[in-house]
Amino acid sequence: MSTAALSHADTHGHHEHHEATGWKKYLWSVDHKIIGLQYLFSSLLFLFIGGGLALLLRWQLAFPSTQVMPDGNVGNPLSLAFINPQFYNALFTMHATVMIFLVVMPVLVGAFGNYLIPLKIGCGDMAFPLINELSFWVWLASGLIMLAGFFVAGGAAASGWTSYAPLSSVAAYNGTKIGQTLWAAGIFINGLASIMGAFNYITTIVNMRAPGMGFFRMPLAVWALFITAFLLLLAIPVLSAAGAMLILDLNFGTNFFNPAKGGQPLLWQHLFWFFGHPEVYILILPAMGMVSDILSVNSRKPVFGYRAMVYAMVAIGGLGFVVWGHHMFVSGMNLVLSAAFGVSTMVIAVPSAIKTFNWLGTIWGGAIRFNTAMLNARAFVAMFVIGGFSGIFMASTPVNIFVHHTYFIVAHFHYVLFGGSIFAMFAAIYFWYPKMFGRLMNETLGKIHFALTFIFFNLCFFPMHNVGLGGMMRRIADPTVYEHLRALQPINQFITISAIALGFSQIIFLYNFFRSLRHGQPAGQNPWEATTLEWTVGSPPGHGNFAVTPTVYRGAYEYSVPGHPKDFIMQTEPPAPDQPSGLPSRLRPVPAG
Amino acid sequence: MSRLCRWMGLWLMGILGLGSSTGWAEIRETGVWWLPRNVSNFGHEIDFIFYVILWLTGITAVLVFGVMIYFIVKYRHRAGVGAIHSHGNNTLEIVWTTIPVFIFLALAIYGNEMWAKMRMETPPTDALQVAIVGEQFGWNLRYPGPDGKLAKMDSQKISKENPFGIDPGDPDGKDDFTTYNDMVVPVGKAVRLHLSSKDVIHSFYVPEFRLYQDMVPGRVYDFVWFKTDAKGHFQLACNQLCGQGHYKMFGKLGVVTQEEYDSWAKGKAPAPATASTASAPQNVSVANR
Repeated sequence: MSTAALSHADTHGHHEHHEATGWKKYLWSVDHKIIGLQYLFSSLLFLFIGGGLALLLRWQLAFPSTQVMPDGNVGNPLSLAFINPQFYNALFTMHATVMIFLVVMPVLVGAFGNYLIPLKIGCGDMAFPLINELSFWVWLASGLIMLAGFFVAGGAAASGWTSYAPLSSVAAYNGTKIGQTLWAAGIFINGLASIMGAFNYITTIVNMRAPGMGFFRMPLAVWALFITAFLLLLAIPVLSAAGAMLILDLNFGTNFFNPAKGGQPLLWQHLFWFFGHPEVYILILPAMGMVSDILSVNSRKPVFGYRAMVYAMVAIGGLGFVVWGHHMFVSGMNLVLSAAFGVSTMVIAVPSAIKTFNWLGTIWGGAIRFNTAMLNARAFVAMFVIGGFSGIFMASTPVNIFVHHTYFIVAHFHYVLFGGSIFAMFAAIYFWYPKMFGRLMNETLGKIHFALTFIFFNLCFFPMHNVGLGGMMRRIADPTVYEHLRALQPINQFITISAIALGFSQIIFLYNFFRSLRHGQPAGQNPWEATTLEWTVGSPPGHGNFAVTPTVYRGAYEYSVPGHPKDFIMQTEPPAPDQPSGLPSRLRPVPAG
Repeated sequence: MSRLCRWMGLWLMGILGLGSSTGWAEIRETGVWWLPRNVSNFGHEIDFIFYVILWLTGITAVLVFGVMIYFIVKYRHRAGVGAIHSHGNNTLEIVWTTIPVFIFLALAIYGNEMWAKMRMETPPTDALQVAIVGEQFGWNLRYPGPDGKLAKMDSQKISKENPFGIDPGDPDGKDDFTTYNDMVVPVGKAVRLHLSSKDVIHSFYVPEFRLYQDMVPGRVYDFVWFKTDAKGHFQLACNQLCGQGHYKMFGKLGVVTQEEYDSWAKGKAPAPATASTASAPQNVSVANR
């Protein structure tokens, strides 16, 4: 350990830290891998909390406790009486808040970002390890603060995760002054954690790449996290400001958003969505990057159009800041502005299309493996296509007038966030689990889990398109009070049953995850025969990652290169002496030492 | 237990499409998986663009999924068969960048033309003017009397006592009448809405009109108008989360003949100058627990 740490310190010359032991390791370690795992385990816990909230609200939609039977009896035998309308509103508000801020962001950006960035660019840790650890604890505190809302007078925040003012900002309107304040405080603190993480990622990637690791030799997962970090750094402070204004309005009479006292309700929406739309890409870009890597490794082929993929992600990151108005087409903002946002929104669909075509190109001509990671990665591509297509309907300003705020949009963003981000999360867990814990997850259980999740996901979320087109509003505690929605109720019940099955299928994943920690097949250093740097070290990698700082001689995707004895070439493998590296001189590695 | 059986029976009936209609609004008995019928002028154009996008994305989806499944089967890993070594193809990149650019821009331009027609052109001058002010949790409506003129609304004056924010001395308002959760419009006549809210954001949503518009407190929006082309009984729904009672903030919406409308309007007494609406602000059709 000491020699490794020494050589590591010599190479990078940044402040050295020592490996903590025992329980202290999981509480106070500043090692990026431990922090990554802390994020992973905590957000898996939050995943099940958020999923539980979803099942409760689905139950209410299928068997409403508010319903009046045709004979005048109130309620029905299957309803849960404790789900009153206000609690229902809190359920969907907190479901979304938990899933976005405590599950998808921390898993994709927090867990995999922390774990993979130093390993994939060839350095020993993040640039600021202590801030990294602080960011985790601050994030965890934000989650507990938000969930504490369920236990205060008035209950948790119940004005939707979008918290439109003045419903959210005037206590007399929402009836959840404390819960809403806790929500806003949680969002603010959560933002601090994101900002700390984001500048850490950017600094690490810019400054600490191993010799020879040019920007265009970085795996796409690193590129995606790099771009995501910029989005976080630019978008999150705006949300934090909005959250602070909300706290002031609720508790200190500032009236930023209350029109009765001269405030502007639309100001909240502009601030929120200026954050909210880049946020959508924060939630999907890391998924895109990791899926690109997994597709390439398991097709034994280089990523098709590597540079096009990078440029497409940069384009998404840039355009992501000029499309927020498409959430507000029918909010009553300036009508010409709506039209302009309609154009930018259609344009941002182009880079997503490019990425999809390149993913298809990547599997073209491959030697495709059917392991669980790959199945989930391909499901990501397919579900992302459906989610992208339903987005086009809403990007069209006239169609938006009809489908806005119906279940059509609920279907759309679940196809992107569950079908996209969560399938990518599963793919990434199955793929990097052997690196994290030294053992493989069980493939049979993995495939059963994948099949059930894929089937029930589609049975649950696809019919939501239909009930949305049928005119069903989102965020209503009881669709059966509407005569025009009564005929749709069987579909709602079908969706709920599928959601329950989807939820219970995850128990298989949980069992597999924890069982494999001890009983999984030992993975070895490079079980997938992948080329990138994390696979050159032990599983799990030791403290400091690399005994000797690696030198990078080639790009991240040298698969099935003709004339090579193996179908993959590690990034660290020097070119044969008689062969030129085939790269322009500016990309040739600096000789080590 | 018997209630459970009845519930399951109702559910089955729903699945089989045998539900019966006893309420105010139309209950669809067929086509529950698809769009409800459309009775408004702009609805036809919205549906048209909807179907254009549906065909475009549907065909593309079939192609993409077809190619994907074909690749997965054809290029599955087999012993002794290696993968092709390819880093990509710039011509292809240019092709699949350019084609979507043109398709998406065409969609945006065409959509915005429709948008301008629906929202940015001046509504017909002979339109029936209806003021709608949302509140937690119901709808205040104000109709013009025989003079056909609605009192001028000022969002700054909207209050509990003066839900429409009108000037009590406004002569146009003398014969206006108000209703609560009850909207009636004559078929075939343009209707221009003046939308606002007393407290939080509500929204005016009628799926059969293909129409959604937020009603933001502190503002009066008067750019929304529509013309119906068939009679029917519908529900006016709030589709912007507005608080605890949001889920039951709905009103009756009848599209009737001009004669029926006239006799309905004749039965309504002019509203007192500024007093709040007379009818009880409660949704009596639903038990409130």
